Amino acid sequence: MTGYFKRKAEEYRALDQLDRRRYWVDGLLNNALYILMAVFIIFTAVVNKNFLSASSIANVVILAAASLPMALGIGGCIVLTGTDLSGGRVFGLTAAMAAAFLQNRMATKLIFEHLPNTTGAWIFAVLVIVMLAGAVIGLVNGFFVAKFSLHPFIVTLATQLITYGIILMFFQINGNGGGPISNVAQEFKNVVSGPVIRIASKNVSIPWYVIYAFLLVIVMWFVWNKTTFGKNMFAVGSNAEAARVSGVNVFKTTVMVHTLAGALYGFAGFVEAARLGSITAATGLNNECDAIAACVIGGVSFVGGTGNIGGIVVGVFVLRIIFVALNMLGINPNLQFIIKGAIILAACSLDMRKYLVRK
Amino acid sequence: MSGEKKPEPPGVLGKPGGLYDSVHMTRRQADLLALGAIALLAVVLALVLLFGRGGFTVSFDPNGGTDAAPCQVQYGETVPLPEDPSREGYAFTGWYTDDGCTEPWDPMGPVTDNLTLYAGWEKTA
Repeated sequence: MTGYFKRKAEEYRALDQLDRRRYWVDGLLNNALYILMAVFIIFTAVVNKNFLSASSIANVVILAAASLPMALGIGGCIVLTGTDLSGGRVFGLTAAMAAAFLQNRMATKLIFEHLPNTTGAWIFAVLVIVMLAGAVIGLVNGFFVAKFSLHPFIVTLATQLITYGIILMFFQINGNGGGPISNVAQEFKNVVSGPVIRIASKNVSIPWYVIYAFLLVIVMWFVWNKTTFGKNMFAVGSNAEAARVSGVNVFKTTVMVHTLAGALYGFAGFVEAARLGSITAATGLNNECDAIAACVIGGVSFVGGTGNIGGIVVGVFVLRIIFVALNMLGINPNLQFIIKGAIILAACSLDMRKYLVRK
Repeated sequence: MSGEKKPEPPGVLGKPGGLYDSVHMTRRQADLLALGAIALLAVVLALVLLFGRGGFTVSFDPNGGTDAAPCQVQYGETVPLPEDPSREGYAFTGWYTDDGCTEPWDPMGPVTDNLTLYAGWEKTA
């Protein structure tokens, strides 16, 4: 560690006046977002002592675990220089499906009358069903992006609207009339949002889905770094033309990235159904914005071909910490959207600056 | 010529600069833009922290007794409970978090969200 700093110091001494100035400007601007966040977090901790309590930290971890799957999915689309605006709605649809398929069979108002009892096998089957449903929408996205070279912003905007239409119709099934889908079976809640670790003295309870999110991060790290698919994804993202020439199937890779993203939104929706226990047609609205912001904060660049899973995890945590902090400061929730927008704008400007400097 | 594949159009995914491919800017302009965006974010955060701290609204439902005005409480602080309300023919039993008056509110408990407290009453003779 000391060797590293010594080497850095020597490098710095070798620079001339202009390069030294550049060194500081680069260092400050590249880390500006993190510096600003650090100041903000220290401020929050000073104002509200509860911010650093065990239950508050656990709260950040739990919220981050719930939003990680979506960010991991969208990350792949951003690596391909695209994005996915349909994410939030796919999340909402799959959450509604999971809730409807796993309602308490004893409840009076059911979306589907004839379904198996809530056994472990049926819960797993529903997980597969909702992930497939998400994957199908992802497949449509990927197909249009890859086949017709349409910009992902446009294609996924279209599927976002289509999916919302499907959501609204789904909420009309069996005379539901657009009301929330609730009465989620307790067995389902137990295996997803039930506590796995509980420390009563500290008022901390970690649900199962934190473990699932952790496993998912490992799986996605493996997919991105150790598989041919992952390597192709980065190749297509950094230069699709070059990737095509060197024998990468750009079409297949693009379709697969979007399909995988859709399946991950399905997983996130499945967790959300158990987490909230009551899903409305508005569930998931704008969730893709959070995921995109987390990815850009975490260094997944819109230039394409750059980014890593660790960065996404950091980005998700940074974003969650900010929102828990805002809540703890008693900030009007409506103002949080303005801050979110400003964060995306700042993160994107810094990302673009990095690209221009490199060029 | 026959059998030779037609070269595909480069399309959106073919651009090496991704979303920023068509951006032309000097280094200085990019620095200024980044600085401006960060300054904007800092100003927004500062403004929100200065003026946005409305806190949480605690309202009181007198359940038929005399009214009590709602108040704003910052996260983690205790509720400044109003004077006990009064009601003809009833005795006040305290504030509750549910309208059925089964869960009493702990006066020392922290506020973590918007809250409504319900007055509990017991019939006197």
